[in-house]
Formats: sequence, C-alpha cells, structure tokens
Amino acid sequence: MATALAWIVLVVPLISGIVLAGWPGEPPHAVTRLLGIGSILISFALSVAVFIGLLGNAADDRSFTSSAFEWISIAGTDVDLSILVDPLSVMMMLIITGVGFLIHLYSAEYMEHDRDYRRFFASMNLFVFSMLLLVLAGNFFFLIVGWAFVGLASYLLIGFWYERPTAVAAAKKAFVINVIGDVGLVLAAFLILRELGTLDYGEAFAGASGLGANSGTVLAICLLLFVGAAAKSAQVPLHTWLPDAMEGPTPVSALIHAATMVTAGVYLIVRCHAFFDLSWLAGDIVAVVGAITLLMAATVALQQVDIKRVLAWSTVSQVGYMIMAVGLGAYASGMFMLMAHAFYKAALFLAAGVVIHALHDEQSLDRMGGLRKYLRVAYFGMGAGCLAIAGVPGFAGFFAKDDVLASALNGGAIGVFCWVVGILGAFLTALYMFRLLFRAFFGPEPAGGYQPAPHPSRWWMSVPVVVLGILSIVGGWLQLPFGWTEISDWLLPVTGEGPAILEPTHATEVVTIIVSVVMALGGIGLAWWLFGADPERRIRLAAIARGPRAVMDDAWRFDEAYDDVFVEPGREMADVMLTRVEPAGPQGIITGTVAFVRGAARLVRSSQSGMVRAYAFWMVLGIALAGIVAALIAAGGS
Amino acid sequence: MNVPIEAYLMLSLALLALGLVGVMRRRNPLMLLLSVELMLNAGNVSLIGFSRLWDDPSGQVFALVVMVVAAAEVVIGLGLVVAIFRSRTRLDVDEMSSMRG
Repeated sequence: MATALAWIVLVVPLISGIVLAGWPGEPPHAVTRLLGIGSILISFALSVAVFIGLLGNAADDRSFTSSAFEWISIAGTDVDLSILVDPLSVMMMLIITGVGFLIHLYSAEYMEHDRDYRRFFASMNLFVFSMLLLVLAGNFFFLIVGWAFVGLASYLLIGFWYERPTAVAAAKKAFVINVIGDVGLVLAAFLILRELGTLDYGEAFAGASGLGANSGTVLAICLLLFVGAAAKSAQVPLHTWLPDAMEGPTPVSALIHAATMVTAGVYLIVRCHAFFDLSWLAGDIVAVVGAITLLMAATVALQQVDIKRVLAWSTVSQVGYMIMAVGLGAYASGMFMLMAHAFYKAALFLAAGVVIHALHDEQSLDRMGGLRKYLRVAYFGMGAGCLAIAGVPGFAGFFAKDDVLASALNGGAIGVFCWVVGILGAFLTALYMFRLLFRAFFGPEPAGGYQPAPHPSRWWMSVPVVVLGILSIVGGWLQLPFGWTEISDWLLPVTGEGPAILEPTHATEVVTIIVSVVMALGGIGLAWWLFGADPERRIRLAAIARGPRAVMDDAWRFDEAYDDVFVEPGREMADVMLTRVEPAGPQGIITGTVAFVRGAARLVRSSQSGMVRAYAFWMVLGIALAGIVAALIAAGGS
Repeated sequence: MNVPIEAYLMLSLALLALGLVGVMRRRNPLMLLLSVELMLNAGNVSLIGFSRLWDDPSGQVFALVVMVVAAAEVVIGLGLVVAIFRSRTRLDVDEMSSMRG
C-alpha cells in the first residue's frame, strides 16, 4: 500500500512535467498552474498518506521495497527499478513535496510576467520528480539516475533566463562542478559493486561490515561518496557554484538551492551511514570539511551586498552544519537540521523574492531600507526566518542547531573542535542575517525613496511566505531538548543504534543552549549596533579591517585560485594545441592528403589535352605496345 | 575462284592503315568519320576472309552486325557534326578541345 502510493507520488510530477514540456505553444496560465501546482499538491497529499500509513505500523515495520521490473541483469548482478519507502525517504518526500508545493504556489505569481511560464513549471516539475527519485531509489543505480537528473534540472533552472550571459555561465559552472560529484558517486557505486557484488541498498548495507572496520576499501567508498555529497551540497572546495546559482529565479533558489537539492549530500551520507559508521577517519574528514565550510561561508555572507547572495552563502554555511553533524555520526540531528533549514531558508528566500519582486528586480541591499512599512508579509517571513536561523530560543533553528552542537560535544576531540566552530558560526549567522534584516527592512529608505512605491504581493506569494514563516517557528518543536525526540525516534529504524552514532546528553544540551543563546543574542546585538541603531555607523566604520574584509568579499578567492590552477593552464594548453599541435597533426594529415591528391591529379590532367587526334595517336601507340608485349610473351612462352 | 586468306589480310591491313593515318592526320570531322568507317570495314574484310577460310558463316554475321553498328555510329557522328557546324561554322577537331583537363 505504502509503496503503491509512493510510486504515484513519484510519477505524478513526471507526467505533468512531460505534458507541460510537450504542450504545443504556451497554454493559458490557468492550465499551467493547474498542472504544475496541482501535480505537486497530489504528490504532497499522497506523501502525507504514506506517512500516516507508516505511523500506523510498528517502528521496525516501516521499511518497504517495491520493484517495478528488472532493469539490468548482467553477470549475476540484478538492478531493479525499485523504490525504498522507509522513515528516511518518507521524511525527505514530505519536505520535498511540502516545501515544493508552497514554492510552486509562490512561483505562480512570481513568474507571472515571464514569457516562459510553461517552461518554468515543466522544469520545476522535472526537478521535483528527480529529487523524489533520488530519495526513493532502492539501489545505487537509481540514486545516481536521480542524482544526475537533479543536476540537469538545476542546470536548466539556473540558466532559465538564458539571455543573460551571467546566468548561462552560472548554469554551466554548476553543471560542471556537479559532474565532478557525479563521477565520485559513480566510482563509489562501482567500488561497492566490485566489493559486495550488489547495488541494492539492503544487501550493500548488510554486507558493509564484511569489508572490515576502518579498512581502506570502506574509507575509499566513504570518501568517493563524500565527493558526490560535497559537490551537490556545496562543501569546500566544491562550493563555488552555489552563490553563482543565484542567477536563477528566486523560487528556484528557494527550492533547489536552499531547501532540497543542496541537502541531497546530507541525505546521501545518512542513507549510506552503514559505511560511514565503519570508518572513523572518513567521518572525521566529512565533519571537518563541514566545519570549515560553515565558518568560511559565514564570513563571506557578512560581506555580501546582494540579498540573494547573503542567503546563498548562508545556505552553504547551514549545509556545513548538517554535513558536520552527519560526519560526526549525529544522523538524526543532521536530518532535523535539514528539515528545519528547509523551512526557514525557504521562508527567507521567498521573503527576499517578495522584496525583489516589489522593487522590480532590485537585489542590492544598498538600494533597500525601511521596507517593513511597505511589505508586511515579507517582513514577517524574513523576521521569522532570521530569528530561526540565528537560533533564538523557541524557533526551529534554535532546536536544530542545538541538537547538532549538543551531539557534537559528545564526539571526542573532533567533536569539541566542531562544537567550537559551530558556536562561532552561530554568532556569525546571527550577525549576517540580522545585518540583512536591519539593512533591508529598517533604517531610512534609499536616497530618493522608492519610485514607484513597493507593491505588496498577492495571496499566491503571501500564503507560502506566511506558512513557511510559521513553520520556521513551530517546525522545531518536533525535537526538543531533554527527552522529546520525535525525529530521532522516527529515524531510529534507519540510523540504528551503536557506538558510532551520537546523540545529545543532558549535560551537553545545557552547555550548548547557554553558550549558543549568548552567541545568538550577541550576534543580533552586534548587528543592531552596527546596522540597526545608527545606519551611518557602518559607513563611518568602513575603513576597519579593509584587507581581511576584501578577502571575505571575494569569497576567499576560491574562484580566482581555480582560474589560476585549472582554467588558465587549460586555456593555455588549448592555445598550444590550437596553434602548434593541431595544424601539424590532425589538420596536417588532412591537408597533406589533399595536396598529394591534387598534385597527382595535376599530373594526370595534363594528358587530357582535348585533342581527339592526339587521343587516337596514344590509343594506337598503346595498342601497338600491348600487341608487342603480347607477342613477346607468346614467343617466350612457346 | 578461291582467294587466299593472305589477300584478305593484306587488303584489311591496307584499309586499316589508311583509316588510322586518316584519323590522326585529318582535321575535318567528316573525314575522321570516313576514316573510322574505313577501319571498321578493314575489320569486316578480315572477318569475311576468315569466315571463308574456316567455312563458318558466323564471321559474315559479325560483319553484318558491324555494318549496322557503323551505320548507327555515323548517324550519331553526323548529327554531332551538323550541330557543331551550326554553332561554330569551322569544322576542325583541334578546335573542339573544350573538354581539355
């Protein structure tokens, strides 16, 4: 029953996407809305039905696989088109379809004036299908298929406004970096196939312990999986595509580049935790990469002027928290944070979208200020999101972040390191988010005021912002400190129990809550002092720490380094190939052949004089010679 | 009366030589056609000579076939000559060299 519904959840967005993509011409907006949004609503309703169905079962009876048919059968390895419905995939389904539905609803108004309304919804539906395939896949084969499809959908949607060269470049960049991750994931699957002889989740995870704890094979599998996860989840050093991906429309940024796709790496590690549990080194590498990412991205977010780029770097940072958590073995905490982040980051992005829409595509914070008078809905969404992400007690981000950090504190020396980094990150998060809030919604209006006045959104856009704002508040109440652990309990059949799995204890929770609340409030206070209380103060203080701030502004110069290390040598090599190797090599062979044929033809051509009498002479001469030769041979032979 | 084969062959050779020299020397396409005709008939003489020598009628049948082909060839050749004459007025095979490579 559960699997049958899950199949429908999976195919409905695919069908509507195909119908929209194949629709001849541009259908009326109402039709596009009905198909594009309705399909996701159906998927969401059925996901809820699956969830309720699983709730009725005992905790150890919530995992079902269903196979449509055998896809490949080679050399004793069978790959079925199969899905796995278990607590983890259902949780992801609910997030994808739930947040996805709200964002589709929002897009109906946001993209209203775009001439490619149909293409937008077709691509978005394709994305939802791909993401569902990614989380529902029952083996590594279809995981990779979904993984590659979300990369494609992301590419299509980043480059949605294809007339903009920057959007096309950003789409290309995202695609190329994601392919690096795809290669890692594919190699990991090959390694699993070679060592365990199966791509099926159940068999692979059951056989994982046979590879031996801390063996090189397990480490290699984990690190290859992490290459895939890092590329998709924008972790250092493969994070550079995500800020550029903000070239896409804002709903795309909210759905793909904040709430769902970038968290696929977290999902992957939780799904494959059977491998990560076996190798402490792999887990520690993942955790440290996550920690570095969260701190680095938070510092960059401090300096951004583009409202969407602040949120993009914030996403990199927040996903860093999740990766850090799952690297340490706090799988339930990581998934809790993934869910909470999907709510508050979607709320932030959609609120930012309302602002951008109201100001006619203005994204610079320098051209904003005092917006809370005009855009109440956006103010609510942004405010709730900021309070949640900063970790103010009572909001979703507070419980999620503290769950992560309190678990980390139990994780030995690396855990303590991650805890310290996470606490620092919490301070920076509060600072940069409230910088955005104060600069956009408080303070004076930009010089000259708004021409024309910002127009509030209609209900299409307002409802999702309000719902997600409310979810940013109540979404965290599923897992409270000191014993109320709905998320951990729900995921227990997937994550299991063991020494490798971290959970918060009372002592660490108390310490973490006290420190992180102080940090969050300190960050908000500093933001108020710098940007809120006196808008002129930041201009007076602009000279402070110019050097480090310039580095942060340039995102730690990762792009420049990649240009120097990969792009420029590649370009130079291509140049040498073009000017030296190619003319002499492949082109040389072709021109040489042509020159030879032409020379030979010139030689033969001179015999074609056009003189009939000369032809007759040559013919007679030839026959005579042939006759002489024949006569000589006949004479010699006899 | 029994003509020896050598006589046939001598006549044939003489006709062939005349035709060849004609083809190579004459510039008028009409004369060229006549020379070709001479060579064809040289072949016919040989065929008939051998036919009589071996007492086999198939050589004579061949000669008749050659005549038919020659007649057809002359028809085409003359047609070409007339067409060229209409467009160029001067009939000189050395000037008809537009197919030069």
